Amino acid sequence: MQRQLIAFQAVLFRNIIELKRYAFNTISMLVSLYAMFMILFFGLQRLGGVAIAAGDTLEGLLVGYLLWTMAIMAYSELSWDLNAQAQVGTLEQLYISPIGFGRLNAYSLLCNLVLQFGYAAVILAVLMVSTGKYLHVDLVSIVPLFIVTLMSAYGVGFAVGGLALIYKRIQAFFSIFQFVFLAFLTLPWAQFPWARFLPLSMGNALLREVMIHGRRIWELNPTHLMVLVGTGVFYLALGMMAFAWSERIARDKGLLGHY
Amino acid sequence: MLEVSHLSKVFVSGKNKVKAVDDVTFAVKRGEIVGLLGPNGAGKTTTIKSVLGITRPSAGSIKVGGFDPFAEPNNALSLVAAVLEGSRNIYWRMTTWENIVFFAGIHGVSHKIEKDYFDHLIETFKLVDKRSTEVRQLSQGMKQKVAICCALVKKTPLVFLDEPTVGLDIETSYELRGILKELAAAEARTMVVSSHDMAVIQDICQRVIIMSGGRVIADDKIDDLLAVFRSRNYKLAIGNVLDNEVVEGMRKKFTDVEVQNGERKTNITINLPSSGDLYALMDFLREHNIDIETINQQDPDLEKAFVALVRKERERCNGNS
Repeated sequence: MQRQLIAFQAVLFRNIIELKRYAFNTISMLVSLYAMFMILFFGLQRLGGVAIAAGDTLEGLLVGYLLWTMAIMAYSELSWDLNAQAQVGTLEQLYISPIGFGRLNAYSLLCNLVLQFGYAAVILAVLMVSTGKYLHVDLVSIVPLFIVTLMSAYGVGFAVGGLALIYKRIQAFFSIFQFVFLAFLTLPWAQFPWARFLPLSMGNALLREVMIHGRRIWELNPTHLMVLVGTGVFYLALGMMAFAWSERIARDKGLLGHY
Repeated sequence: MLEVSHLSKVFVSGKNKVKAVDDVTFAVKRGEIVGLLGPNGAGKTTTIKSVLGITRPSAGSIKVGGFDPFAEPNNALSLVAAVLEGSRNIYWRMTTWENIVFFAGIHGVSHKIEKDYFDHLIETFKLVDKRSTEVRQLSQGMKQKVAICCALVKKTPLVFLDEPTVGLDIETSYELRGILKELAAAEARTMVVSSHDMAVIQDICQRVIIMSGGRVIADDKIDDLLAVFRSRNYKLAIGNVLDNEVVEGMRKKFTDVEVQNGERKTNITINLPSSGDLYALMDFLREHNIDIETINQQDPDLEKAFVALVRKERERCNGNS
């Protein structure tokens, strides 16, 4: 137990240092996310409120955008990080840790999840002030909803990360998922009833209810909540299985590690 | 400490099959410093990666301290540390100290508890001034030292060093060898050092395992291995030029004779498998009134032994195929 704690502290230590060393990168990411949203927001205002993010309001756009950015961060955190570690040669060192690569990865994700909520809070606050559209920020309701919704994004991250172990240079493939996530968020349920089972989709709908209409988590439709949890667990498990499968292939082919 | 038994690894890519490791068996006792030598593609790195659980073997078994790295990875890996690709194994945007703290931490070793030991290693590797410097700003040699430090801070009984001096200049390589030798003696750790640099192996290790074509072709103490070669070759300096008749006579009587006639002197390199052959040579030279200026038993180094063994193995393989 003590060794696990030491390992967790070490991962936290590394992540904080990297955050400090790459501060410019973090700030520019936040600025570009802000700028991108403002362009979307004013563009849509000009067009007279085109339906987006399965809703008709600009508040809906704000919720969808927030979820999308968090999903991208969650997904790229995993897949991109694996790729980067393989490139610099540190991946093998993580694999020869007696703590286990899976646990080290989980600790890293946990640290970064907290960080992501921090980024999201900053983005949300700035966007609300800039647009004059204020949402209900009920932490008790939105934090668990975000976590469960992001589980499916992590699942995709694991699957793509596994592919990165085998195929190494798949940056172009990484980028495609930004648009795939956008499709998950925007597919209308009325036309595509199965879309609610896609990653992020149900989470987006429930977060809109909480953040736009001010509902509490226990006031939400229990079936919808079950679908949210079910899809979250399903995609995460599927992603982890795909990762384990890829890991096995990489070990067999001697691909685990460097380029 | 380490037992590798009938280890084989075949890499399959489409219809192509490459046997990287072929029925390799060896054991390393606690406290031994073993060199793993071999030309490119000999199977050294694949063997090491299999021991570390990074590459899954096709056949055979591995036990690290009695634990199978695939069946009981946590137990096996708690006994091992490795530098696999030198300076590529560390975070370049982190400082020396930060890297050390991180890599010890992911092995469950606390920098708070082991601070004195960490400081001792930093001092031994002469990294005190570079403690707070980002690794990317360090020289190649310094980076290599940080990478080795990061492996040693884990305080594991078994350490693998894959090409620890690759890319280093002679001076830094020499310095690093000195440090490793000192640490090996002081800490009584088991080390497996893989290198192309014969001097490194000869300097640090007590025993050497030579691999070629995925197979172990020699596994012996370095001194014993060199003794086999030491007893055979002699170099003679003759004070006059030998005529062809004498040279031909010598070639008939002895095998493996090399004669280099200079303007006034002659150098002879000759292989004398037994001590009786040495007396026969002396008789032959006396018969022909040849004055010997000097005679030296050639001191074969590990490099010569290595080249001879690898050549022999290649010839054997070519003969079989």
